[in-house]
Amino acid sequence: MNDILVIIPAFNEEANIETVVGKLIKNHPDLDYIIVNDGSTDQTAEICRKNHFRMIDLPVNLGLAGAFQTGMRYAYRNGYRYAVQFDGDGQHRAEYIRPMREKMDEGYDIVIASRFVSEKKPNTPRMLGSNLISTAIFLTTGIHLKDPTSGMRMYSRKIIEEFANRINFAPEPDTISWLLKNGAKAAEIQAKMDLRTGGRSYLTPLTAARYMIRILLSILFIQNFRGGNRK
Amino acid sequence: MSILFRAILIAASVIATCSVMIKIRRAKMQIEDAVFWVLFSFLLIILALFPPVLFFFTGLLKMQSPANLLFLIIIFLLFAKVFSMSVKLSRQEEMIKTLTQEIALEKEKEEEKK
Repeated sequence: MNDILVIIPAFNEEANIETVVGKLIKNHPDLDYIIVNDGSTDQTAEICRKNHFRMIDLPVNLGLAGAFQTGMRYAYRNGYRYAVQFDGDGQHRAEYIRPMREKMDEGYDIVIASRFVSEKKPNTPRMLGSNLISTAIFLTTGIHLKDPTSGMRMYSRKIIEEFANRINFAPEPDTISWLLKNGAKAAEIQAKMDLRTGGRSYLTPLTAARYMIRILLSILFIQNFRGGNRK
Repeated sequence: MSILFRAILIAASVIATCSVMIKIRRAKMQIEDAVFWVLFSFLLIILALFPPVLFFFTGLLKMQSPANLLFLIIIFLLFAKVFSMSVKLSRQEEMIKTLTQEIALEKEKEEEKK
């Protein structure tokens, strides 16, 4: 059995899932993957069944955090050593999983596929948000992450266990910040990302603003009070 | 605003902040839910510490007294919170119903097979 699990949360991804997973299986047949269908209301589940993709089919919509946690529980129960978060919309490239793993083997807990290790950040509103989050993480942990909002991250067994069993472990920058503060070691490798191939992103200016407030408040303030108790 | 009123406001806002923090510390509250209460208690602390902020807006809106404005703001925020909680509760009831039905249907399918 392979010791890396690729977790693909999918909510209404009928436009992308077949291509994304098909490509993953074709180019990386050695990798284990699991799709977590987050109660999609479109044809996502049917497409996965038709293609005999490995899928956990959630009967209700739990949101990204809940869907991803399902994947982490699966990874934990089945004894995977590493787990990668991989978007179902086609913006992540599976070719980076190998280099991420090599980096992990050097003794890291989290490896982020970062867009800005050797590349410069463009000056867009989106990247302003990314910079704010970077700064907030630096202020609280003293560690400089260049691409904290990248959704493609690999986690070690230790972190998988935390994600699987604890409350407030959404796959978001504030969780990463908390983990770093508690001694997790993170590294970034340079990666390219594609624009989503189909469907639409749910990032509107209003949700973006809410997201920023939530993440910044969480990193700068709330995470300082977080205890280590189990659920 | 009287000294007593300010004292009460400051005490209440500090207590509110502390109880939110304790809940998070004991890992009994989701950060999404904590954000509202943290911002709310920050607002209370700001208003308690710097009442001129409130006086300014009272003058701007030509209201009778700062207390009226304060209550209006707080009632509105709590109203919004209750409303959003009601929406969330409805969704949760629906989710529980769906889950119960899913489990029961699966069970029935299992028994059919025997």
